[in-house]
Amino acid sequence: MALEQYKGDMEMCCRCSACKFIPMQKIKGSEFSYACPSIARYNYHAYSAGGRMNIGAHALKNGMNYTPKLLDVVYNCQLCGACGVSCNYAMDMEVLEPITEFRMKCNEDGKTDTKLDKVIDGLKKTGSMVPVKGKRGDWATGLKIKDATKEKVDVLFHVGCLTSYDPAMQKLAKSIAAILQKAGVNFGIAGDAETCCGGRAYQMGYKDAFLAQAKKNMEMIKKAGVKTLVTGCADGYQAFKVLYDQFDLKGDLEVLHITEFIDRLIKAGKLKLNKKVNLNVTYHDPCRLGRLGEPWIHWSGKKIPGDRFVFDPPKEYRRGTKGIYQPPRDVLKSIPGVKLTEMTRIMDYSWCCGAGGGVTDSNPDFAVWTAQKRIEEAISTGAEALVTACPWCEKTLNEAIKASGSSLKVYDIVELVERAI
Amino acid sequence: MALTKEQYKAFEDVVGAENISDDKAIMPAYYNTDFAAIILPGNTAEVQACVKLCNKFKRQFRPICTGWSGMFPKDLILLDLRRMNHIIEINEKNMYAVVEPYVISAELQAEVMKRGFNFCVKGAGTNCSAMLRGHGHLDQTTSGDDRNHLAIEWVTPEGEIVRSGALGSADEWFCGDGPGPSIRAILTSAVPPGVTPGVFTKAAVKLYHWPGPAAYPIQGHSPKYTLSEIPPNMMARYYSFPSVEKMWNAEIKLGENEICYELMGFNAAMVACNITTCNEEEEVVFAKMSKEVQGPGFFVIIGGNSRDDFEFKKKVLEQIVKENDGKSLKTVENPEIEGILLCQCTRISASIRETFRAGGAFNSIPIMGQRDLTIKWAIGAGKAKEPLIKKGLIVDDGGAFFGWGVEQGHLGKTEIFCKFDPQNAEAKKAVEDWQKEQSHRAFTERYFASTMGPQDEIGPALMNYNLWWNKIVHALDPNGVSPEGGALV
Repeated sequence: MALEQYKGDMEMCCRCSACKFIPMQKIKGSEFSYACPSIARYNYHAYSAGGRMNIGAHALKNGMNYTPKLLDVVYNCQLCGACGVSCNYAMDMEVLEPITEFRMKCNEDGKTDTKLDKVIDGLKKTGSMVPVKGKRGDWATGLKIKDATKEKVDVLFHVGCLTSYDPAMQKLAKSIAAILQKAGVNFGIAGDAETCCGGRAYQMGYKDAFLAQAKKNMEMIKKAGVKTLVTGCADGYQAFKVLYDQFDLKGDLEVLHITEFIDRLIKAGKLKLNKKVNLNVTYHDPCRLGRLGEPWIHWSGKKIPGDRFVFDPPKEYRRGTKGIYQPPRDVLKSIPGVKLTEMTRIMDYSWCCGAGGGVTDSNPDFAVWTAQKRIEEAISTGAEALVTACPWCEKTLNEAIKASGSSLKVYDIVELVERAI
Repeated sequence: MALTKEQYKAFEDVVGAENISDDKAIMPAYYNTDFAAIILPGNTAEVQACVKLCNKFKRQFRPICTGWSGMFPKDLILLDLRRMNHIIEINEKNMYAVVEPYVISAELQAEVMKRGFNFCVKGAGTNCSAMLRGHGHLDQTTSGDDRNHLAIEWVTPEGEIVRSGALGSADEWFCGDGPGPSIRAILTSAVPPGVTPGVFTKAAVKLYHWPGPAAYPIQGHSPKYTLSEIPPNMMARYYSFPSVEKMWNAEIKLGENEICYELMGFNAAMVACNITTCNEEEEVVFAKMSKEVQGPGFFVIIGGNSRDDFEFKKKVLEQIVKENDGKSLKTVENPEIEGILLCQCTRISASIRETFRAGGAFNSIPIMGQRDLTIKWAIGAGKAKEPLIKKGLIVDDGGAFFGWGVEQGHLGKTEIFCKFDPQNAEAKKAVEDWQKEQSHRAFTERYFASTMGPQDEIGPALMNYNLWWNKIVHALDPNGVSPEGGALV
């Protein structure tokens, strides 16, 4: 889809500012009422979804007016989609899609962020969004994990760039492997044949780089005859499940996040969580597992001429309703000793950890600022630990904790599950 | 004309480099014009300093809050008050809250509900400033408009800080009229061009008793929230009546008996907007409800302070409805629908569904006055909508209007609007013509609509108020730097 195709959506924006806040009924007071990190940090209306939509509509009529401030607006957005959920409570219009397309348009016109260019150059050379040290599958050495490209497996565990290469995050891959082994799942990894899902490249505005990665992955998956893919990374989950489907690349591949898969294993009696993990926790919904993990809806149609913004055939909007919210909570509730207390901003209107949209690379201070707001919210619940389900969230939240000196702990849900088995 | 380097530097010295921009690329976010600059003051002192600089440089300014569209002339300095978003005080004993302009109603309401209070959230919606003056769903309980402002802090167009009422003589916000100066007529003027110039930087708003829960037990996901249970001693119903006369009679009786927490004269189309999650569903539900209602109607919320109080109010309500042949809409009796209407209509969180969702725009004519008379005017305005509906230029809402009584219900607001696609030039023109014609009719029939004009025509009918107002404005704003007033949305 090109920006032009969202002209009507952008023109529908009435600058009501609902996009800045969590859904109005959910506001519990003056704290934690904002949904959009960008407007909360940078204040100008241009940084809100409403501002972005109106700039987009203006650009379609008058041409792109590239200035440093405009590019600052464009790249200081995690594309977390919270704006769309709040807007779509009342309005029938696309929000995140035109904002994403605006960034794509900037990219096509060569108006990129040099820090992001560097990351994408690295991706093209190494197949990774993070610096590469050693081989992708080195973390699995000695763990007796099957090579899915050589042996028949029921489940392919797509590990992801950060979990594969970051020494501090490899623990998550090991936890997942231990859980799957304990449950007797016939799974494997692709090792060096695995490459970046491309999801973060897409968020950064590099559609071609994303598509190249997606094609490589699907080629490998088809060759391996894999029917089910499990990922521990929310970015990877959204890429395989939603973005690949959006671009007709997914086929009939079943894509599951590890929390969904563990939830199934527990409910099927294949995984027993017996050991007590005494911990008061709160849960952070990763954007791309939650609201942006909602399945893609294929649709094409035309606006029906007349008084309403309606289409033939009717358009079903992705409003964040069908994201993955309950499985991680059910898993947490299954762990003996874990007590879950919810934050104010959860599920479809969860506050972003700050890591999305390439912000960790283009403006790490903003990413950490965003994460610090989440840490404050987590602390307000009285929890000892903040649990999430994505390595990017865990990394960014930990950086915020380091910066603020908080004693709050951050865990991925798989770390707690591993402790309980 | 852009700011000179010297002018830009002077403003930058006040608010900091991060809080001023003259970058043209971001201006369409606010409005399709070339502002001289966007400035984000962080407190009253910065607002004052900016306003003084505007006078020094003879630059016009206008404050803005959460950002609804407006009409902004070129070269204006836009004071975006986004950084002024603090609740200063919630005074439970004296029942008021002091807020800065960018505190939205949803934030303040959530805070005060925890403490057993509510306040007058305006019909524009809970996404708007809590300082906004005007009317809303809760008017029977909270009254409306300028009755809800106590002391106000105001930066005049020349950059003086005026503190009205009690704040003018002590550090207290409990009264807008004294001890200390009462300038209510200036601060809360409403008739165009009498929109107060300058910038409101803080205001105390009245709080009222809230019989409902500290927070609604909401479940589900947007856009379909429901309540896990109807809060104790609360009830929502929609009643339709066989005639306007019977509806009005029931409405005034309910007002006089003071039993309704809320009485909102919704039409069936607006109820359909509230309870549906998309345009297509709304059309289906409206068609169904149009058959279900017997004529005009209203939406009612009862809130009891005890079981007995609730039962008493319910009994009175049912008696009055029965005496006027009212019929309860079965759709709203469904607890799922009732629950979400209770929440939405006290938290005023579906105004956008009612207005913008259909086509992206609406033009409205609000009339203040005696309800039974303004309803008669609105019936005529509704009939004038019918040709536009037939041509498919505006959304079919049955030509309906809506409105509600304030306090005991004699005075009230009646409003009628047309929803349309603003990209459709024919529809836009037809709606503008309708608005102009019906506003003119309101004027000639001696009603008061804020859309009336021009001033030289309506002024003589209103004791030449416009001449006096212009003199006041000139005295307050000798440099003419605050042309559009400080009204906040």
